[in-house]
Amino acid sequence: MGVILRAVDALDGLRILDLTGGIAGPLGVLQLAEHGADVIKVEPPRGSSARQLPASRVYNRSRRSATIDLNQADGARLFRDLCGTADVVVEAFAPGTMAQWGLDYESLRDDFPRLVYCSVPAWPSGTRFEEIPGYEALVHARTGQQWETTSFRNGPVFLHSPVASLSAAMLVPIAIMSALVARDRTDRGQHVEVSLLQGVLALTTQNWNWTDRGQHLLPKTHPPGVHQGSIYECANGEWIHVPASGGTQPTRSVASVIGLEDVPFNELFAMSTAERDDYMARWREAFRRRTRAELVEELRESGLLAEPIVAPHERFDHPQLQATGSVVEVADPEVGPTTQIGVTIFLEGTPGAVRGPQPLSGAHTDEVLGALGHSDADLGELRRSGVI
Amino acid sequence: MVDFGQYLAGPYGPMLLADLGADVIKVEPTRGDGMRGGFIGPFMGCQRGKRDVALDLKHPDGVRLALELVATADMVHHNMTLGTADRLGIGYEHCKAVRPDILYCNTYMYGPVGPLAHFGGVDPLAQAAAGLEWEEGPVAEGNPPLWYRYGHGDVAAAIPSVTALLIALYHRNRTGEGQSMWASLLHGAMLYTADSWLAADGTPSPRPTLDREQLGLDALYRLYETEDGWLQLAAVRDDHWVALCRVLRRDELVNDPRFATAADRKAHRAELTALLADAFMADLATNWRRGLRSAGVPAEISVDTWDGETILFDDELLRAGVVAEYEHPLLGRVRQFGNLVTFSDTPGHQERATPMCGEHTREILGALGYADAAIDDLRARGVVTWPGDDYPFGV
Repeated sequence: MGVILRAVDALDGLRILDLTGGIAGPLGVLQLAEHGADVIKVEPPRGSSARQLPASRVYNRSRRSATIDLNQADGARLFRDLCGTADVVVEAFAPGTMAQWGLDYESLRDDFPRLVYCSVPAWPSGTRFEEIPGYEALVHARTGQQWETTSFRNGPVFLHSPVASLSAAMLVPIAIMSALVARDRTDRGQHVEVSLLQGVLALTTQNWNWTDRGQHLLPKTHPPGVHQGSIYECANGEWIHVPASGGTQPTRSVASVIGLEDVPFNELFAMSTAERDDYMARWREAFRRRTRAELVEELRESGLLAEPIVAPHERFDHPQLQATGSVVEVADPEVGPTTQIGVTIFLEGTPGAVRGPQPLSGAHTDEVLGALGHSDADLGELRRSGVI
Repeated sequence: MVDFGQYLAGPYGPMLLADLGADVIKVEPTRGDGMRGGFIGPFMGCQRGKRDVALDLKHPDGVRLALELVATADMVHHNMTLGTADRLGIGYEHCKAVRPDILYCNTYMYGPVGPLAHFGGVDPLAQAAAGLEWEEGPVAEGNPPLWYRYGHGDVAAAIPSVTALLIALYHRNRTGEGQSMWASLLHGAMLYTADSWLAADGTPSPRPTLDREQLGLDALYRLYETEDGWLQLAAVRDDHWVALCRVLRRDELVNDPRFATAADRKAHRAELTALLADAFMADLATNWRRGLRSAGVPAEISVDTWDGETILFDDELLRAGVVAEYEHPLLGRVRQFGNLVTFSDTPGHQERATPMCGEHTREILGALGYADAAIDDLRARGVVTWPGDDYPFGV
């Protein structure tokens, strides 16, 4: 066997102190951790309350954990010492929390001018929106997401997916990396902020474009939108999505795959409503007669787009996730071997990897603080007084 | 950055970089981006801040011009299907040959390897594969799946592709090395359900379930109709529960054994939901919100944007740069989302409107050293174009 050289990761040598709970902070930081950043989760001595959620095993993997009580002056001092070794701090506390500990950006920037300090509040800071409590569903409510999500009925719809936090999780690494790239030229860090409200706005790219000539895509919510019409039930109550178009030249039509005659678009449009309803009912009936697996295979072989509509836990079987190595086994110290989704962006020269499970709370406290020069005796004293 | 993308999953990423100050040049087909003609809103939503050169990549001179641009660039980005850029002569190897440290990013539907790599795609494929449509139905409660029309799949390819580029740029700043990279709708959409994992015996991690009416995850984290509109309640903590009962003037619920603990309240979700639904009908949404907020219970009115109440028209958010307003030559004033990230020292900006097709062709070719006569000749031969009196697009 030849020598295996481990690829260099792009962010080797970059250190991030992660104080966040919830979704946007830890999942945002994860994307940097798995490209080489040394992420240290700093949590309270009894562990972050976010650990109660099953999601935490994924969102908080690939990093180390140090427990420090920031409510104690000695704890806040230790955190300041850690800032001296770090490039980035990420926090997602309620407004004013970091300032209470003397750890807000204004209190740190003079001592650590190269520090990039990323805040992830629910609402943009310095606006009256900050008075609204920081809960995901309240962000959906205030921004109109609930009235603009299409549904089977009129009226607002609760979004199962925490989309504000999840899109903010995609923006957090951009916030951090752009500030670091800017630092390469200015030699100075700065304060960057991604609010959950901005997470919602990231989704409105197609939908909210108002001009003097009018709004260019009306938020009509019922009946459901264009792609809802290509969802079909198959045999055994399974569902399939068969959207039109998509950059390939099909060799057959969907109608021919499901055993119906082709009706050209102009004829379809010329039909009366009753005729068209009848034709579409025959489509739905034809889908219900076939198994999903068989349909997906036949449609894809014909160059047509088709995707099984699965529950989240069924997605690990996707042939493309399998083929790209995106389904990984992670040995969690509390629940044992788990199957998780791995790295989701692919850098050919510096591929990155899942670096390990969510660590036990405080698993690396001694290692992290020891590297600051604290002796075993110091650490023992800090532990006895509940600081770590 | 040279942006060869069309539609959304490509161009949205470069637009975010333009917001951050990058000089993004959109290389557009002379017949226009596939979305420019019919979809003015979605098109504008991913093109502002760019300069635009319209050239024909099927013409050898068009490819030559494109590579001359790449030679001046740090990044290339597009969402062509597998092999298309190579066939055109603007693949990674072509670009690397003229710019050895180029950062080259392709967004795909499914990624460049595997049995479905050759497919193009559209947003709902990603939502189906991630479990989003299944959970929003919710299918488990007997509804059909429901597609989220906000294009979550496209967004999940475009935004992480910027993360990939910035990570690679940081690395290049240290090593001088460029590289190619990719993101996909499928892989990006996995972030939306990343929290779902399997135990060793295949048991899925527990997840909250939406009710069949699509109103909430729990009696205390749910939408309620009031006398005049809908209210989102988030009474998720124990202390919220007692305060909620008092504000609703249903003090007797505090001592009701069915709702004594958080676990009891979850176990009796249907009964509690019915009681609260009845109680909320007794007053106006604004009154409930005021009462609940002053009692420390999180709640917010569910804003109906059909009533015209959209945060795009909030002056405070405009001042904060979170909403953008600028002029477009054909459309007048435009309002869109503004900075998705707020920077203390290097603020972003969106004053440059969505470009017209070929708006900057002459300027960009001029900067490459072409004389006016040569540029006119390229246009006469159909290699490049710019807007004339017969400009066919609305944007």
